[in-house]
Amino acid sequence: MSSKANKILILATETCAYPGADSVGQAHSSYPANTYILRVKAPVLFPESFYIDCFKKGISGIIVMSCGEECPYEGAYKALADRLNSVYQKMKALNLDLKRLRLTAICTVCNRAFLNEINQMNELVNKLGPPQPA
Amino acid sequence: MMKENDKKVGVYICYCGGNISDHVDVEAVRNRVEKMPGVAVAKTNMFMCSDPGQELIIDDLKSGKIDRVVVASCAPSLHETTFRGAIERAGANPFIYEHANIREQVSWVHHGDPATDKATVLISAAAAKARKLKPLEPIRVDAKKHAVVIGGGIAGIKSALEIARNGIEVAIIEKTGSLGGNLNNLGRLAPSGENASDILQEILGKVKAAPSITIHTGCEVTDVQGYVGNFTLDVKGRTDSFKIDTGAIVMATGSVSYQPFEGEFGFGTYPQVITLPTLIEALKQSKYQTETGWFEFGGKPVRNIAMIHCVGSRQIPGIHEPRENGQLNEYCSRTCCSAVLNAANQIKERFAKTRVVDMYRDIRTYGRGQEALYDRASANKVVFMRYEADAMPTVEKSSTPDFPLTVKIKDGLTFNEEMDVPADLVVLATGIEPSDVSGLASAMKLPVGTDRFLLEVHPKLRPVEFPVAGVFLAGTCQAPMDAGEACNAAGAAAAKTCALLSKGVIELDPFVAEVNPDKCQGHGNCVDACIKEGALKLVDVQRGGKTVTQAQVTAAMCLGCGACAAVCPEKAIDLNGWALEQYEDMVDAIVAA
Ligand SMILES: Cc1cc2nc3c(=O)[nH]c(=O)nc-3n(C[C@H](O)[C@H](O)[C@H](O)COP(=O)(O)OP(=O)(O)OC[C@H]3O[C@@H](n4cnc5c(N)ncnc54)[C@H](O)[C@@H]3O)c2cc1C
Ligand code: SF4
Ligand code: SF4
Repeated sequence: MSSKANKILILATETCAYPGADSVGQAHSSYPANTYILRVKAPVLFPESFYIDCFKKGISGIIVMSCGEECPYEGAYKALADRLNSVYQKMKALNLDLKRLRLTAICTVCNRAFLNEINQMNELVNKLGPPQPA
Repeated sequence: MMKENDKKVGVYICYCGGNISDHVDVEAVRNRVEKMPGVAVAKTNMFMCSDPGQELIIDDLKSGKIDRVVVASCAPSLHETTFRGAIERAGANPFIYEHANIREQVSWVHHGDPATDKATVLISAAAAKARKLKPLEPIRVDAKKHAVVIGGGIAGIKSALEIARNGIEVAIIEKTGSLGGNLNNLGRLAPSGENASDILQEILGKVKAAPSITIHTGCEVTDVQGYVGNFTLDVKGRTDSFKIDTGAIVMATGSVSYQPFEGEFGFGTYPQVITLPTLIEALKQSKYQTETGWFEFGGKPVRNIAMIHCVGSRQIPGIHEPRENGQLNEYCSRTCCSAVLNAANQIKERFAKTRVVDMYRDIRTYGRGQEALYDRASANKVVFMRYEADAMPTVEKSSTPDFPLTVKIKDGLTFNEEMDVPADLVVLATGIEPSDVSGLASAMKLPVGTDRFLLEVHPKLRPVEFPVAGVFLAGTCQAPMDAGEACNAAGAAAAKTCALLSKGVIELDPFVAEVNPDKCQGHGNCVDACIKEGALKLVDVQRGGKTVTQAQVTAAMCLGCGACAAVCPEKAIDLNGWALEQYEDMVDAIVAA
């Protein structure tokens, strides 16, 4: 498949970012097709190993699109931010470019922010190529 | 128990009448999907949400060809419940379902081969998840047959009456000293001409006669705890504080009239510049007719009235000045056009000599019977002038002694002629702003729009509902609307409240954490990570004749966030319907493509 090399995984919260992605669709705003959006209740579900395994499996970039401070699960956002900090530590140890993992807040109508995030990550993974964990 | 690789997944791919099939080669996708592991059936349909589309699923389930379902179609927010419903009608468990979003997230944003390829990958991931889905039972919790309505305007009162009529107890909590809300400030209502006080008197009579309605005036809700069916509200009165246990909450906190700022169209500078509510009050207070034939205000005859529409509404960034808090009211207040014309008609019909000049940006007398107000105003010889948003009328002190004020306007109806309209009285058609309920909204986690009105989940799919289960909304706390519309919304909110509480038990989504007792070693990491007080605890249980410590979930309290699943070293706790292991399989399906 055309975009085999550089796949971007997007974890999008069902209350904010996922409907945000739908809103981009409703606006018919095109973006790169190597993006795979998974609907999640709260990204705090994912342990550090999930992210590292994704890179090991060959995912080039991960964008966690959360609700940010608007998170309906009070306390979850902080836990998520802490979690990602430890993922970054692990990524460093594995010699993975930290920019391959990004945490951002996307609201239900944040079309422009959504497209920006995707385009930036796409540029990055095209430059870096698939991950090669040490 | 069946292994997941025994699962027979049925995949149903929608054309969406071209919305999907114009960009995704649906038949090619079907051919590829059919060969995927675990896929027993792959079918396409022009409209999966139609009856024939749903019948495909129902038939295959009934005949035993499939035991898991994936529909690839539009966004799950639109039809996930439709397809779960179809599965239920086939006699199967609705939670064996997974959705692949190939319209909003594929065909509307990608084209050609990449669109077809991506649709295939998303379906393959959905099928991988579906193989790990298990039937779930909704969580049943007892619900108190009691509702609280916050706000005692017409929307709140109507909700309370309807709920009480269905045998459910209601408490109305009203901030001010009396019920009725803004209707207390109105006279003859547009469009019908009925007296607001007559309507209020009638419905307040019914409220007082309803033994199951309790009224708390002068009270405010300071905190809300609990969950659907079992909320506890802290209420603060003028002298005391108390708690109310309730099953559901209706927000009916209404709106307030826009207050012009000092100097806006001369408001506050000239005493002859007043707001629409002030005019309505004056019409209510004045004798039906005067001997002079002039409408009188402040004891003086009013020869010319200028009325200016859209004050504090339909504000445009860059043209209108925001408030100190940066707020602009960009919405139309929807009630002021009719209310202004209604007042103009009353003046012309009661005080024939007074001249009325109506200065509008647009006339929005929408809705049944409202346009007639405009026709009547024209017949009553109200003079209309039209201004543009970027050339608003200005109100100045008159240069002649005949009139106190002059309104300068560039009139679009006379080819932008600059007019000086002399006036004894200028009425600003001030619009509606939502009551400030930011404290309550954050306590209950209710979404608020950028316009500060409360947001329902979806105007067509889930009107008058909040995303927080058991909380509904009605009336102008949601958007500007007239009293009739507020009553409609109140009826809808009441019906949903009754449907929720009438059985005394509520079924909640089963997407909560579940502990696998075979794996749990009682480390307690999950309990430390859990973000909801009371959702997860360690308990001693008997297993194989021994007492062991294990984690236990209180399903009704669990938020389903999954914070616990991330930290268990044994992978002994996971989220039903959204399990970590399901995501791992989805990622595998994505990288495999
Ligand atoms: C100038 C003007 C003219 C109008 N003319 C017409 C007309 O001619 N015809 C027509 O049909 N409609 C008219 N309307 C609209 C009409 O007033 C509204 O549709 C109607 O009042 C909406 O009712 P409500 O119950 O939603 O809100 P409200 O009437 O605003 O009632 C809300 C109630 O909630 C209370 N409240 C607020 N916050 C809290 C809190 N935190 N806790 C407890 N209580 C709280 C308030 O004190 C109030 O009693 C007009 C509106 C305006 C401003
Ligand atoms: S109802 Fe009429 S006066 Fe009120 S904001 Fe809308 S257009 Fe302006
Ligand atoms: S899913 Fe969230 S709320 Fe439920 S037990 Fe786990 S951490 Fe607690």
